[in-house]
Amino acid sequence: MALDLRINKYADVPMEEKQRLFDEVTRDERFEEYLYGCYECGICVASCPSARFYDFSPRRIAQAVAREDVDLVYTLMNDSIWDCSQCFSCDRCPRKNSPGGLITIMREVAVNNGLSSAQEALEGYGRIVYKIMGTGTQVSPDMLQPNAFPDWGPHVKDISDNLDIWRRALPPETLHTTETGWQVDDKTIIELYLIWHMTGVMNMIQEVDEGLYEILVDVMEERLEEEGYDVTFD
Amino acid sequence: MAEKPILIIGGGPAGLEAARSIADLGYQAVLVEKRERLGGTPDEAHYAKLTPDLRDAPKAMQEMIDPVTNNPNVKIHFGSTVTSASGSAGNFDVTIKNSKGSTTENVGAVIVATGFQHFDPGRETQQYGYYEHDDVLTLVDLEKMLTEHKVVRPSNGQPPKSLCFIQCVGSRDRQIGNEYCSKVCCGIASKGAIEVRQLLPDCKVYIFYIDMRMYGYWENEIYWPAQEKYKVNYVKGIVTEVVKKGDGLMIKGEDTTLGRPMEIPMDIVVLSVGMEPSAGTREMAKVFGLQLNKYNFIETTGGPLDTVTTTVEGVYACGASTGPADLEDSVSSAGLAAMKAISLVRKAAQAA
Repeated sequence: MALDLRINKYADVPMEEKQRLFDEVTRDERFEEYLYGCYECGICVASCPSARFYDFSPRRIAQAVAREDVDLVYTLMNDSIWDCSQCFSCDRCPRKNSPGGLITIMREVAVNNGLSSAQEALEGYGRIVYKIMGTGTQVSPDMLQPNAFPDWGPHVKDISDNLDIWRRALPPETLHTTETGWQVDDKTIIELYLIWHMTGVMNMIQEVDEGLYEILVDVMEERLEEEGYDVTFD
Repeated sequence: MAEKPILIIGGGPAGLEAARSIADLGYQAVLVEKRERLGGTPDEAHYAKLTPDLRDAPKAMQEMIDPVTNNPNVKIHFGSTVTSASGSAGNFDVTIKNSKGSTTENVGAVIVATGFQHFDPGRETQQYGYYEHDDVLTLVDLEKMLTEHKVVRPSNGQPPKSLCFIQCVGSRDRQIGNEYCSKVCCGIASKGAIEVRQLLPDCKVYIFYIDMRMYGYWENEIYWPAQEKYKVNYVKGIVTEVVKKGDGLMIKGEDTTLGRPMEIPMDIVVLSVGMEPSAGTREMAKVFGLQLNKYNFIETTGGPLDTVTTTVEGVYACGASTGPADLEDSVSSAGLAAMKAISLVRKAAQAA
């Protein structure tokens, strides 16, 4: 999607709100190590894989924040930061800026404040987040669904239709399950739930995907109760 | 036979350094200054702080003046100009005129240190409405305000909420004829931007530029701190016009790196005016028959390896009389001119 900076797409959003989000970015304790000053040399763009395929520019992120252009930062926080692959190739900056790191902060601020763009950007990841946070395993065979990965081609449908059979046909031990990648230790999953509870991760999930949040909370509260923990998420 | 004195024309940083060097080495200097006081342009134009180290300008200039005044090896002609000269290398007779009359000095060599003048933004066209809008200033006007620790909009006496510098005014411009870079304005604007931010933390400060040129340590002494510590906004793109908007101004230009036009309301616009040869520089070229370059600065003949030798033997030029120069250049070339002048008068004395 082309990003037209000549128009102020979010002119109707109050300046106070934009300033509030901007301040949240600059107050982050990582901020001063991620941005010094930008002389707009473009080395970050030249090294950025996303910039080759999208109308995306890590330079634009760094210079907008460095110039304290609150309007532009708001626009980028909605329409640009999600095109970054967080590979940090841009860290080769001669001023020692980290545009990728700035984007990490901006994404967290966008998520914590439930920006609709954050919700949209993360929509496709709901299933992955559910899998990781529910089971403690990162990927599982049943996540291979043609509607989620159209770019993988038509054969994905054939495979996903008979996933269980394909899975059983593999020589290594596959647990004969399609729901988890491997077995997760009871103690591990309980600790993960407690960490997510205590560090506010669940609040972030709630901001971007209320439905997913409800499902995860049900799963987690039940399991924690079984283990003797009296934990509620609200 | 004793060495003849060396004539120095101009009592600014370059002339003072040349006089001090000559006197320190035990030779005689005759210093001619058209004003009634020493210190040159930094004094005359009320510089507040020096670039790049932000030292207090009057104090720093006084430290250059002190060793020259009441120095038995330096004779100073205040309020004076050189009106004619005859003779040749090792033996010049120069006429020095002041309000009371004229005197003649016999000298062995001449050092021209007559400096520059600031570009007048109304010289060719009314650039950026300098003579039209009260709140359009030059770097020189801002320096004066900074000296008084009071930066306000001349139109209403209120401190500005936004202030910008427009770079390369009267420099790098074929239309105007000054095709050269004035070398110091990027640093001076950045220094000024830091001072404005120190004085008025709520004032947003922009610098609109073509290229930022702060070589060597100026990068880390001024440019990076201005950007990183004082949050000065550097925008690559030169303002095309300054217009009146409400009771303030608006600048129009292109934000080239973001690829979009910009129209920003601005309380004060500071024009970073460049350097031109001063009237004294052009006048001394005439008196001594020195060749000028395309831009009317004094031509030097040695390229990068000799920055002070002119087309007339025995006459040296230093500082901003030969082209745009910062203080580092001026003081360094003054030392070189002093050395070359001393070596000439020594040889002349030995030959006699």
